[in-house]
This record gives sequence, C-alpha cells and structure tokens, in this order.
Amino acid sequence: MDQQIVNAIFIGSIYALFAVGYTLVFGILDILNLAHSAVFMLGAAITYSLVVNHGQSFVVACAIGLGASAFMGLVIEYVCLRPLRRRHAPPIAALISTIGLALVIVAAVEQGQVGSFFSWLWVDGANSVAFPAGTVPDPTWHVGDLTLEASKVLIIPISIALMLVLGYVMRFTQVGRGLRAVAENPRAARLMGLDVDRMITLTLVISSALGGLAGILFGLALGDISPYIGRDNVEVRGLAVIVLGGMGSIPGAVIGGYLLGLIEIVALVTLGSNARGGVAFAALFLMLVLRPQGLFGTRLRERL
Amino acid sequence: MIRIRVVSWLVVTFLVAACGSTGGGGGGNSYSGKTINLGAVFSITGPGGVYGPQSRDGAMLAVKQINASGGVNGAKIDLTVQDDASDKAQSAQKAQGLIQSNNVLAMLGPTLSNSAVAVHPLADSLKTPILAVSTTGIHIVPDCKFPDTSPCSYVFRDSLGEQTAIPDNIKAYAEDQHPKTGVLLVAQDDKFSSDGGTIVVNTVGQYNITLLKVIKFSKNDADLSPYVTQAVQLKPDVIFITSLGGIPAKIMNAARNQGWQGQFLGGNGFNTATVSKQAGAAGKGARSASAWYIGNTFPSNKAFVDSYKTEYNKDPDQFAAQGFTGVMILADAAKRANLTFTDLAGDRTKLRSAMESVNIQTPLGPFQFTSTHDVKQTVWVIQMDGAGGFTLVKEIPAS
Repeated sequence: MDQQIVNAIFIGSIYALFAVGYTLVFGILDILNLAHSAVFMLGAAITYSLVVNHGQSFVVACAIGLGASAFMGLVIEYVCLRPLRRRHAPPIAALISTIGLALVIVAAVEQGQVGSFFSWLWVDGANSVAFPAGTVPDPTWHVGDLTLEASKVLIIPISIALMLVLGYVMRFTQVGRGLRAVAENPRAARLMGLDVDRMITLTLVISSALGGLAGILFGLALGDISPYIGRDNVEVRGLAVIVLGGMGSIPGAVIGGYLLGLIEIVALVTLGSNARGGVAFAALFLMLVLRPQGLFGTRLRERL
Repeated sequence: MIRIRVVSWLVVTFLVAACGSTGGGGGGNSYSGKTINLGAVFSITGPGGVYGPQSRDGAMLAVKQINASGGVNGAKIDLTVQDDASDKAQSAQKAQGLIQSNNVLAMLGPTLSNSAVAVHPLADSLKTPILAVSTTGIHIVPDCKFPDTSPCSYVFRDSLGEQTAIPDNIKAYAEDQHPKTGVLLVAQDDKFSSDGGTIVVNTVGQYNITLLKVIKFSKNDADLSPYVTQAVQLKPDVIFITSLGGIPAKIMNAARNQGWQGQFLGGNGFNTATVSKQAGAAGKGARSASAWYIGNTFPSNKAFVDSYKTEYNKDPDQFAAQGFTGVMILADAAKRANLTFTDLAGDRTKLRSAMESVNIQTPLGPFQFTSTHDVKQTVWVIQMDGAGGFTLVKEIPAS
C-alpha cells in the first residue's frame, strides 16, 4: 500500500496542477475552457519535439514549451472568447469554441509526420513517444520498500510551490485583486477603471502556462507524449477535480487533485483495477448530490 | 542507383516466380490495359497509427513493384488507401465507400480488430473479398459475425492470430524455464488486448503456471504505475502483457524501476521496433511470437527488407511485411482468377475462390490459407534485444 500512496500523491499532483488552470479560468470567466487539455498536450509535444527533433537542451525546450503554452492563452482569448464576448454570446458558445480549438490543436499535432506541413512541430503522428533516457537526470531511489523516481518526486514540490505562488498572487497582489474584481463583477470592475480584457487575457495566459507545464511534467514523468494525452488522461478528470474541490476555487483544485488521485488508488487496491474510474466518478456524483458547490466552493462573490 | 536496380530486379524476379509458382488456370490470361482496383482501410491516425502507416507503406511498396514488373497479367494495380482514424464507425463508412462507390475488386484491412468487427461483416455481406493484414483478435476468421457462427466466406487473414501466437510463445518459454506463477496485465477496453488476455487465461494452466491475478486497465491510462505496483508486489515469475501501442513498454519500464526481475511475455503488441525502442533496456529478453522476423535471410524476406529500406530509408516491421504480403496474395489470386473486368460481382467471387488456393513465398515465409481462411505459416518466437530490436529465439513451423 505504501508504494500505492506514493503513486497517488504523484498522480494527484498532476491532476491538481492541471485543474488549477482549469478552475482559474472558470473562476474569472464563468466558462469552461475545454482547450486546456489540448494546451496541456501541446506543451509536452513542443518540448519533446525541441529536445528530440531540434537538438535543444531540456531547459531551453521547456522554456519555449512554456512560452508556447502561454501564447496559446492569447490564441484562446483572441480567437475563441473575445469575439464571442463582444457579441454577448452565452457561455455555451465559448465552451463550444474552445472545444473546436482543442480539436484543431490535436488534429494539427496528429498530422505531424516527416515531410508534412506540421513536421516542424511534431513528426510522430499518432504515436506515443517518450523523452530519451538521460534528457534530465532521473535516478531511482529505493527507500525501504518504496521506489521513488526523481522525475516523479520532483513534480510534487514543483506543483505545490506553483500553486502556493498562484494563491499568494491571487490573494495579496494588485494583479490578484484585479482578477478577483473581474471575477466578482466585470462591469463594476470596468467602471472602477480596470482593464477587464487585459485581466482576462492575463488569466488565460497564466492558466495555459500552468496547463503546458503540467503537460511537460506529465510527459517527462510518465514517458507518454502523444496527441491524445490531454483528452485521455486529464480532460474529464480535471473536471472531476474542480467539481470535487469547488468550481473556481484554487485551494479546492489542489485538494481535489490529491483527493481524486487517492480515491482512484484506494478503489484500485481495495475493489480491483476495474473500479478505479468508477469509484472516482461515483465520488464525484455523490459530491454533486450532497454538496454541489464542492469541498471549497462558495458563492460566486467569494470565489478565488 | 545500381543498388536500387539490383534490389528491384531481385524483388521483381521473386514476385514473378512467386506468382507463377501456383500455376493455376488463369496464369496465361492477358489483362493488358486493364486496372485492378484495390482498396485498403488502415488506421493512419489515432491510437492504431502505431501500426497502420507501416501496413500502408508495405502494401504500396508491393503495388509499386508489381506494376513496375508488368502488373498482373498486364493489368496495373491501383490501391486506394483510406484512414479510419482508428474509429470503428469511420472504418465501416470508409469500407462501404470503397466497395460501393470506388468499386474495388478486393480490400485490405482494417488495422484494428476493434474495427474489423464492423468492417468484415459488411464486406462479407457485399460479397467483396477482404484480407485482414494486421488484425489478430478472436473471431476475425471464419466467424466474423460472432456470436453468429456462420462462416464469412469473403473474409481472409494474413496476420498471425493471437490464438496461435500467444500459446506458442507461452509454450516455448514454459519448456525452457518452467515458470510457476504469473500475473496478467490486460487493457480491457480494446478487443485485441482483451482477446489476448482471454487467451493467456485459457493457456497458462496447460503449462502448470498459476495466474495469481488478472489486472485490467484502460488503454487510455497513462499512469500505469498503480497497476504495475499491484503486479510486482505479488512477485510472479512472469508478467503477461496483452496491450497495444506504447503500453507494454511503459509497463516494462515501471516494473523494472520497481525492482522486478522476472520475464515479460506478450503478443503481437510487442512486435514493433517502436515498442522495443521505447522499452529499451527494461524490455531486454521480453518474448513474443511473431509472424515475421527481420533477420530471416530467406530470399523472399531479404528482398523485401532491402527494397523497403531503399524505398523508405528505415527498417520494415511485421505490419509492413504483412501489408506487403497482402498485396502479393491479392495479385497472385487475381492472376489466376480469369477476371472479366466487366462483371464486378463475378470477378469478386472468382478472386475469392482463387485466394483459397494461394501458395506463395512471402516475407512471412511460405504462405497458404487454412480451410477457415486463416494464415498458415511459420511462427517466430522473438525477444527484445534491449536496444530497439529483436533477436530470434525459436522457429515453430506451421502445423
């Protein structure tokens, strides 16, 4: 069981890091950005491609991957959201437009083959690939019966540190106060002189950078980078995490991430491998029935 | 250039000899100026994209070589390949289009057993010969409409079924090492993988291997560590893996990281260089039974490997060899079928009959169909070499 708890904490960190980006956008904009899972994948894919196909060091590749992910935040805002906001379109329109962007991103990466138009981005098509051994030092430590892989262990402090920084920024800085003001009432925030569009853009950039970072760490630790890693591994689970933790709540996303990781592992160990997904989503259902606002969810004006 | 010519000459010579080796009433019939339209549905994108492109490349290479050597009794082959995106519904839709709109004489594919469940009954009902070149699950031939057990007389397979490959592999290892215990890790949401798991469960008892646990997971799970931890904690002699794509490699890496030193046994899912490369040192010694082995030096394989390398600048794999063989089989059958090129339905039936008596040399070795349209060929037990390749462990002749 000890090793399984390590497994739970590790995967919980990934869920949490991914879900923080998800919930940040929901908290400010009241919409679900379903392109987030595609940005998660793109961060990993670009970093991998730079290391393997363009001969860059991991640090440089990681920086560019993060930059590209953050840039996708701009694309989401300027292509998917702002035009709809200008027309006062309902939130469902934004949801659909982000799904559309996600499909385009996944399809673009999927088309990446040697000699194709997208070969500069990705050359492995639908294949799942992994960073070559030695891309980053990745020793394995054995502590008692526990096996600890450096690439996985590293994710835990990185995730927690980033989430603490984000929490601090949101609570105690001018930018954070601005974002919270927009979350509470965009019109009032605008009347108070805040540049609401700028705040929204900033939210999407931060959220996408976090999503991209989660993707890079996921690809590094799990050795699985393909056009489908976002869709298959974190998209629905990310939703589950923010429902568990409370829609729009950053602490909720963090706790929800670890909780989902733990629930999955406990279900796996006690009820069998078939139960892993089922029990996790049964917990989600129970949460929706018993406490619809989630663990840390509060009324709208108190979010973030 | 000289090398290309020599290789092409060798392949053409071999193909002509192979096609001619069966004799047959139609061998001298001239199809000059005609075109034989063939179709293929492969998974070029989606999860099956690990296999589909190689099948396509192998098939296209065979078409190119046959056409360059004068075609089939003078007729050129035109192969239309469509991508089903690894999706069952799209696969059936594309197959229907090829059969009813493109009027293909016969088809290859689809890549995945999961899609074959939809495509093969369709082709059979439209009386169009279809040759599976990579599907290895249960109930591909002859009962493609399972649980309806009536035979699908237009469905053939040149890919080695897991029902042969997995038991042969387990038997070979059990005879060598006499393992006592095993754990099965199986992707439950994929027909190929779950069929493989069923075969393992039904086979191990014959060799006195106790299956300690069957651990099921989803093919979409990226983090397989919890499942591997469960398996490793039971300290089995063997971990059986029946799964597609990069999953076997991830399981091997995770199990070795957790200190387990036993033997991995698997099925067709192991048999690409991609998987061996991803597994790296963790995969060294992992065994599977294969329809094909790159190191075989008999002429039909050597010519294929050389020409494939020349054409694509990379090594072929089992799926490329099976795709190449698929076109060879159809070409050989077409050569002997006395096609009219005016009566498509009649030509499809003639081709189907001619396919039943195929007997040619291929990259897979000597090739014939069984009475149930399954492959009858030598099985090669191979093991990963820890550096992205394979070495041959044992040759099991066709029974």
